[in-house]
Amino acid sequence: MLGQTSDPTAALALRSFFGLDQPIHTQFLVWLSNVLQGDLGKSWYQGQPVTHLIAQAFSVTVEVALLTLFIATVVGVPLGVIAGIYEGSRLDAAIQAFNLIGLSAPIFWVGLMLLVGTSAVMGWSPPFAYSSPFENLIENLEIVLLPVLSLAFLQAAAYSHFVRDCMISELRRDYIRAAVAKGLKPSQIYFKHALRNILIPLITFMGLILIQILGGTVVIESLFSLPGLGRLILSGIQGRDYPVVQGALLFVVVIAICINFTVDLMYVWIDPRMRT
Amino acid sequence: MKIGYFYRLVLDSKPSRILSVVLLFVFALLILAPELIAHQSPITLNPEFALKPPSAAHWFGTDDVGRDLFSRVIHATRITLGLVAGALFISAFVGSLLGLVSGFSGGLLDQLLSRLIDVILTFPPIIAGVVITGILGPGADHLVLALSVVYLPMFFRIARSGAMAENSRTYVEAARSLGFGAPHILFKQVAPNVLPLILMQYVILFPLALQIEAALGFLGLGVAPPTPDWGAILEQGKNFILTAWWISLWPGLFLLASAFAVMVLGRALQERLGKG
Repeated sequence: MLGQTSDPTAALALRSFFGLDQPIHTQFLVWLSNVLQGDLGKSWYQGQPVTHLIAQAFSVTVEVALLTLFIATVVGVPLGVIAGIYEGSRLDAAIQAFNLIGLSAPIFWVGLMLLVGTSAVMGWSPPFAYSSPFENLIENLEIVLLPVLSLAFLQAAAYSHFVRDCMISELRRDYIRAAVAKGLKPSQIYFKHALRNILIPLITFMGLILIQILGGTVVIESLFSLPGLGRLILSGIQGRDYPVVQGALLFVVVIAICINFTVDLMYVWIDPRMRT
Repeated sequence: MKIGYFYRLVLDSKPSRILSVVLLFVFALLILAPELIAHQSPITLNPEFALKPPSAAHWFGTDDVGRDLFSRVIHATRITLGLVAGALFISAFVGSLLGLVSGFSGGLLDQLLSRLIDVILTFPPIIAGVVITGILGPGADHLVLALSVVYLPMFFRIARSGAMAENSRTYVEAARSLGFGAPHILFKQVAPNVLPLILMQYVILFPLALQIEAALGFLGLGVAPPTPDWGAILEQGKNFILTAWWISLWPGLFLLASAFAVMVLGRALQERLGKG
């Protein structure tokens, strides 16, 4: 960091600035107590507190993640249910083909092709500079549209594939046979009985998908120049801005743990049988 | 048994499976002898032919320094798929070994190893990959290391639960009472029974690892520049996406096709092993 001028006093000052003159365990304890007080340090390059940078970036990532989750659920779940109900039909085959392609296509490639497609066919390309939804909602939606679509393509396929498998195994259960024998309407069997019983795996899967989206944003944000959490981590690594990387990673892990915890809580809420 | 299995796959009426087998053969050919199909050099620069769209001379067009893309994409097959296969093999070997020992011996060692593995598991795969390759710097060796670390927990868990399940079987008890040592029982008797599970996990994880490999290449964290790699070609094409879309189209299609082929194979295996 000092380059060619190897001035020993400057080196000493730098070492004490980064706390490198302290033993490792002291350094760790200082860091840990700061973290517990909500202080993740300052960025070495931008001088701003890391917590502030994370908060800024996270607002972008949250918007992308929630929109993606919404679209993936709205598209993926009905597709999966339909494919499961009509197992073996042509409709099922078409939905399965969609699932396979969605799961095999790299998300950033889908993003690139969407960029090409929209500009070639519609002559439209998203604005370059990011604007927050509170400043200019239309422009904000324009810029997050393609990233959300490319992420949602994969996740909708994953959702649909998963729901299909759940639906098929659920429809083979005895209580469904009993419901059919009882003469219930198919719509009641599918939506009142089968769908309710696959809610638990569905919620678990939603948690998994949210965590996956969080990972996917790293790539997609760098492609579409969105100032989100993924780009913060990536630029932190490229610029060796370790407080930022450390803080952002800790944050991602905490978020992942929180998602899993919320999923566990939701089980109990959905299925009273687990309240023991 | 292998031949008979593939024969059955073809006879099976599902078109996705026939396509998968055909694709697997094509990729095997491309890996074994790329020179047979692509005669031009994937590395030689030809600046006067830069950014030419697909034509009879250059089927896939040329990139920004005039290299033949057809040749680059074909030659990249061996590198990209080879890196993924190698990394996953290391991951499977180390992960399964640790998992087998951990699950078979139990106790403190099992606790310790499991917690260590959980640490890796808290990170979304792509983020862990970005951090490892980002800090170590780009390069094929670091890429392989990152991929194998990221997928280690999956193999560990499968092998561990497999070993635990086998441990309570009568044949293990019989071997113990005959006086065989623990290493002999574990590696000669238990391991062969867990191996199919590990192989299946390998096939299932392959398309996922491929996506991560491509994503890291796309972020500029993959193999060093002149080497052809699908992710790296996509990274190069990103800057010319609106003027020279063909640079990005082909590597993405190859990624999609190979992930598709392996995914369908994995599902066929799963279905067959599930039934038998």
